[in-house]
Amino acid sequence: MKTKMLALVVLIAGVLTICSPLFAHHGAAAYDMTKPIELKDAVVTKFAWINPHPLIAVDYKDDKGNVQHWTTEMGSTPAVSLIGWSRTTLQPGDVITIYIWKSKSGRTVGRLNKVILADGTTMRDTQTGADNGGRADTGVRQ
Amino acid sequence: MRNTFMGIVVGLAAVLVFSSVAMSQTAQPQANQANSSNKADQGNEAHSPWKFYPTDKAVGDGGPAPKRELTGSWAGPSSGMAVPRGEPGEAPTLTPLGQQLMSQNKPLGKYSPAGTNDPHVRYCDPFGVPMNDLNEIRGLAFATMPDRIIMLLQYQDIWREIWTDGRALPTNVGGRGKDAHDPTYNGYSVGHWEDDYTLVVDTTGLDNRTWVSAAGYPHTVNAHVQERFTRVDRNDLKLSITIDDPKIYTKPFSLGTENFRWIPNQKIAEWQCIPSEVQEYLQEMGDPAGSDPNAAPQRRQ
Repeated sequence: MKTKMLALVVLIAGVLTICSPLFAHHGAAAYDMTKPIELKDAVVTKFAWINPHPLIAVDYKDDKGNVQHWTTEMGSTPAVSLIGWSRTTLQPGDVITIYIWKSKSGRTVGRLNKVILADGTTMRDTQTGADNGGRADTGVRQ
Repeated sequence: MRNTFMGIVVGLAAVLVFSSVAMSQTAQPQANQANSSNKADQGNEAHSPWKFYPTDKAVGDGGPAPKRELTGSWAGPSSGMAVPRGEPGEAPTLTPLGQQLMSQNKPLGKYSPAGTNDPHVRYCDPFGVPMNDLNEIRGLAFATMPDRIIMLLQYQDIWREIWTDGRALPTNVGGRGKDAHDPTYNGYSVGHWEDDYTLVVDTTGLDNRTWVSAAGYPHTVNAHVQERFTRVDRNDLKLSITIDDPKIYTKPFSLGTENFRWIPNQKIAEWQCIPSEVQEYLQEMGDPAGSDPNAAPQRRQ
C-alpha cells in the first residue's frame, strides 16, 4: 500500500509538471487529430528509447489478414518518464492495442495516443494522450 | 495494477540513471538537508544519491539567498520539480536584413521535423547562446572559480565560462587577421554582480549559424545577449534574457524569463541530443510523417 501511495504521488507530481510550453519538441501539425486509429493485438517489433522521441513500431494484421507496419512517436524521454514510461515498458513480441493519431501524409506513421498492455494497463502519451487529443493531464490541446 | 505502479517507479529511475554534471564542489550541504521535501535526502537508503528524484523538491524559499552565490545544481521547467513557468519574450521588429534572414528559417513548430531547417532538429547542432537558455533547460548548475563562474547545462553537457576578472568583451570577433576572434556557439561571456543577488552576464561573438530561439530568429556575430540571474531566495533563481543586435532588430528586446529551483540532492540526469538517434527518428518517423505548415499555429516556440 505504501508503495502504491508513493507511486501515486510520483505520478501526480509528474503529470503536474508537464505543463510547460518548453516540453514539446514539436507540435502535432503533421497529424490528423480528429480521431485516433485503433490497432488491436498489434505485435511490437521495436521499442526505441531514443531522443528526440521514443519510437514504437508494430505489425498489425488488418481485417483481410494483411500485415501493416506502423511506427509511432511519443513525448521525449524525460517527459514520458514522468508518467511511468521507461526503456523497458515495451519489448519486441509484446502484444498490445495501440491508438495512434495518424499522419496527414498517408504513411503508416503517427503520434501516440495510448497503449493498452497485455495486462490491461493503459500507458498514455503526454502531449496527445487524452482521448480528445489533448494533453494527458489536462485534456487541453497544444 | 501493481505493474502500473512499479512501471511508474521504474520509469522514473531509468531515465535518471545516467547522471552527467560533474560538480567540482558541492555547495551549501546544509541547504540540501534543511529544505528537502523527502526524507531520502536525510539518509533514507531507499533513494540513491546518484539519481535525480523529481518528487524530492525543495520546500519553500529556504530562507534568504546567500550573497553573490549561485553555486550548485538547479531544476528548470519540465524537470518534474514543478518549477513555475517563465514569462514569454517580446515579438521583435526586424530590419530589412533581419526580415531577409528570417524568411530563410523554417521553424519546427510550423514545419514539423520533416520540413524544418532548424540545424539542431535535423543534426543535433548546438543550440548556442541564447537558445540554450530557452530550450530543453530542465537543469543547470554553476561552479565558482576565482576568476570565472562556470555554467553547466544539462542538455548536451554544455559548459560555459563566464569571466569575472574584469576583462572587457572582445570587439574584433569574426574579423580578418591573426588577432581576430572566431565566433563560437556559446560566445564570449563576462559577468559582474550588479548587487549581492543579481549576476549580470554579457555575451557576444556568437556563431551566426545558430538561431536566437526555436522560432527561427536570426542574429549576427555581434549580437549582444544579456542574462540576468537573480537569486530571489535560497531555493529560487530567476533568469531574464535580452538581446541587442542592431543589424537585425530595430531595438533590443526581451527573450523572456525562466525560473529555477534548488535541487535538494544536487543530482541532474543526462539529457542528450544524439545524432545517430536523430537520424533514426527522422528516417523512421519524422520525415515520413511529413509537414503541414498551413496547419493551425502551434504553441510558443
